[in-house]
Amino acid sequence: MNAFKRKLLAASVLLVFSYANAAPSNSTRPNIVLILADDLGFSDIASYGSEIQTPSLDALAASGISFTNYHTAASCAPTRAMLLTGVDSHRNGVPNIPESIPPEHQVHENYRGVLSRNAVTIASMLQSAGYHTYMAGKWHLGKARDELPYRRGFSRTITMADTGADNWEQKPYIPIYKKANWFADGEETTLPSDFYSSEFLVDKTIEFIDSNSDSQPFFAYIPFQAVHIPVQAPKEFTEKYIKTYTQGWHVLREQRQKRSKELGIIPADSDMMTMSSTNDWDSLSDEDKRFHAKRMAVYAGMVDAMDRHIGRLIAHLKATGRYDNTIFIFSSDNGSEATGGDKPRSLLSRFGLGLQGYRNDYETLGTKGSFNTIGPSFASAAASPLAYYKFYAGEGGMRVPLIIAGKPISDKPRRSNAFTYVTDITPTILELTSTTAPSEFFGGRRIEPIVGRSLVALSREQVDHVYGDSDTIGYELGGNAALFQGAYKIVKNRGPVGDGQWHLYNIVKDPGETKNLSNDMPEKMATMLEAYKQYAEENNVLEVPANFNGTHQVAINGLRDRFGKHILVFLLASIICFSFYISYRRK
Amino acid sequence: MLKLLRIVVTLPAILFLIIGLQWAIDPDGAAESLGMPLLEGLALSSQIADTGAFFLGMGLMILTALVTANKAWFYAPALMLAAAALYRITAWILHGAAFAPDMIAIEVIVASLLLIASKLLAAKP
Repeated sequence: MNAFKRKLLAASVLLVFSYANAAPSNSTRPNIVLILADDLGFSDIASYGSEIQTPSLDALAASGISFTNYHTAASCAPTRAMLLTGVDSHRNGVPNIPESIPPEHQVHENYRGVLSRNAVTIASMLQSAGYHTYMAGKWHLGKARDELPYRRGFSRTITMADTGADNWEQKPYIPIYKKANWFADGEETTLPSDFYSSEFLVDKTIEFIDSNSDSQPFFAYIPFQAVHIPVQAPKEFTEKYIKTYTQGWHVLREQRQKRSKELGIIPADSDMMTMSSTNDWDSLSDEDKRFHAKRMAVYAGMVDAMDRHIGRLIAHLKATGRYDNTIFIFSSDNGSEATGGDKPRSLLSRFGLGLQGYRNDYETLGTKGSFNTIGPSFASAAASPLAYYKFYAGEGGMRVPLIIAGKPISDKPRRSNAFTYVTDITPTILELTSTTAPSEFFGGRRIEPIVGRSLVALSREQVDHVYGDSDTIGYELGGNAALFQGAYKIVKNRGPVGDGQWHLYNIVKDPGETKNLSNDMPEKMATMLEAYKQYAEENNVLEVPANFNGTHQVAINGLRDRFGKHILVFLLASIICFSFYISYRRK
Repeated sequence: MLKLLRIVVTLPAILFLIIGLQWAIDPDGAAESLGMPLLEGLALSSQIADTGAFFLGMGLMILTALVTANKAWFYAPALMLAAAALYRITAWILHGAAFAPDMIAIEVIVASLLLIASKLLAAKP
C-alpha cells in the first residue's frame, strides 16, 4: 500500500469515528450557567433560611432542585479543582490552596496547588463537544501562562488568578501579592475605573454570550468574588441591612436555625452547638455592637448585590430568548470565612490595614478603600445551624447550598436531602449536555478518572440517592479530614478550633454535629476509620507536619514568594560589603 | 569631613551592588525598577549580562577604591556614570527616548562625588 492510500484509509477511519461520536444536534443541548459564590455560608440565601434578600436565587430554587446535603472541600482551590474536573483533589494537583502547602509537600507532583494536566476540565470536554466556553471570575488553579483557564478549555475569559482581590479596584487584598493578577484571554489586563466585582463579572459574561450568535450552545462559568474578604458592597445594598444585625450573632444563628427547620432543610428536632470561637455579644460595648452589626450588614449587602447581578444575567437570557434552554447551577466553594477576628478596630489591625492602603472606619465600611471581614462569630451564624466554618471539615466548612434549575430540568421546586459531593457536578453537566466523558486518554495524555456521580436522575426524582450506604467518600485538606458513608461521617478537625481527634456523627439526624457517636458505635467508627485509611493510601494523601498551621503557612509561603529574592539579594550584598569592611579594617 | 565623604560614597556603591545582584537573582524586579520590560531570548541574555555587570562592576569598583585608596578605582566608575549620563542625553536627542533628568542628575552627582573622593580619599603618592 502506498503512502497516499494509507493516508486515505486513515482519513476514512477518522471520518467514520468522528461521525459515530458526533454530539447531539445543538438545538437539543442546553446552555449551562455554573455560578459559584465564594465563602458563602450554608444559610446565607433566603431559600436556605437567610434574612438576606436573594430573589433571583429564590426564583431559581422555585424552578429547580435544592440540595440540602451537598458538600465541597472546606477551602477554595480544592473545591474549584474538583468542581471543574470531577477528580479527587489529591489526584488533580490541588489538595490545598498553593499558598498553604508546606514546602516538604510541594516536591510531590500532586501537591503543587496547580490544576494537573492529568485532570480534564469540564470546559475542555464541552469545548471538544462543540460548546462555546466562557469564564468570568476567580480561577486560583495556577497563574502561569499555560495554567490559566484560557489554556484549560475556556475560549473567552476574564479571570483573577489569586485567592482573592479587592472588589472595587485592581488591588491585592493581602501583602503576599504584589498586585491583583487579572487576565483577559490569557493576557494580563487592567480593570476599568468603575469596577465592582459582581457587576463586572456579569457584564463580561453577557458580553461573551452575546459575542456568538451561532446555534452552538454555551457553558458559562461565573465564579464570583462575593463574599470573599475583603467584604465590600455598594452603600445602597449595605444600607438595607444596617439595622438587621443589631441583636448580634447569637440571635442571628438561632433565627436561621429556626427558619431552616421551618423550611425542612434540617430535621425539626436537630440541635446546634455554639462554637468556642464565638464571643459573648452581650459583653460588647454599644459602640462595638454597632460596628459588628455594620460588618455583617456589608456582608449581607454583598450577597444581595451578587443576587441582583445574577438576576440581571437571567433577565438578559430571557430577553434574548436563551433562558428556556439554559440550566443554572448555583453553589458556593466552601462555608463562611471566619478570618478577621472579632477585634478589627484594634490599633494593630488598623496599622496593618493602613500599610496596605486600607481603612475600616464605621462610616465607610464596605466602600472603596475599606477592608471588611465578618470574623468567627458572625461566620458561625452564616453557617447556621452547622458547626465550624471555612478551612474546617465540620459541616459548616463543607456543607453549602446547591441549586440546579432551569426549564430543561425542572419547572417546580424540589428538594433533595441525599448526600452529594462537589465531584458530582462535572458528571452532572456531562449528562445534561449529552457529552461523553473521556475514558483513559484525553488530548493524547493519560488522565485521572472522574470519581463523581451524575445528579441528573436525582434532580428528576427518578432516584432518591446517588450514594448507597456502602459507598464511602473520603476528604482531607490541611490535616482536617472526613469520611462520609450513608448517614454517617467521621471527622477530624485540627487546632486552633478543633481538638485533632476523630469524631463520628449522624449528619442526617444531627447536621449540627452535636452528638459524637464514636463511643456508642465503636464498630462503625472502626470501619469508617479503616475506610479513610484506605482512601488516604489510594490517593497519596500526605500527613501534614505536626506543627502545621494553615494561616501561618500562607504567611510563610507568601513572604518567601514575594520577598525571598529580595532577602537573598540583601544577604549577598551584606556578605560582599562585610568582606570589604574586614579588608578595610585590616588595612 | 572625610568620614562623611566616605559614607556618602559608600551608599551608591551598596545601591549599585544590590541592583547588580538583583539582575542575577530577580531580573523581572530589576527591569521593572528601571522602567524596562524583561526581554526574551538573546536580548534577555544581553539585558541581564550587560546591565547586571554595569551595576555590579561599579559597586565593586567603588568599594575597592574605598578599601585600597587607589584613585584609579574611583576614576573607572566615575567614567562609566558620566558616560551613562551622556548616552541618556544622546538617546533623548537622537533616538526619541524619554528625557530622564532625575537619572541624569543622579549619575552626574555620583560621578562628581567619585572625582572629589579621588582627590580627598586617595592615598598621597
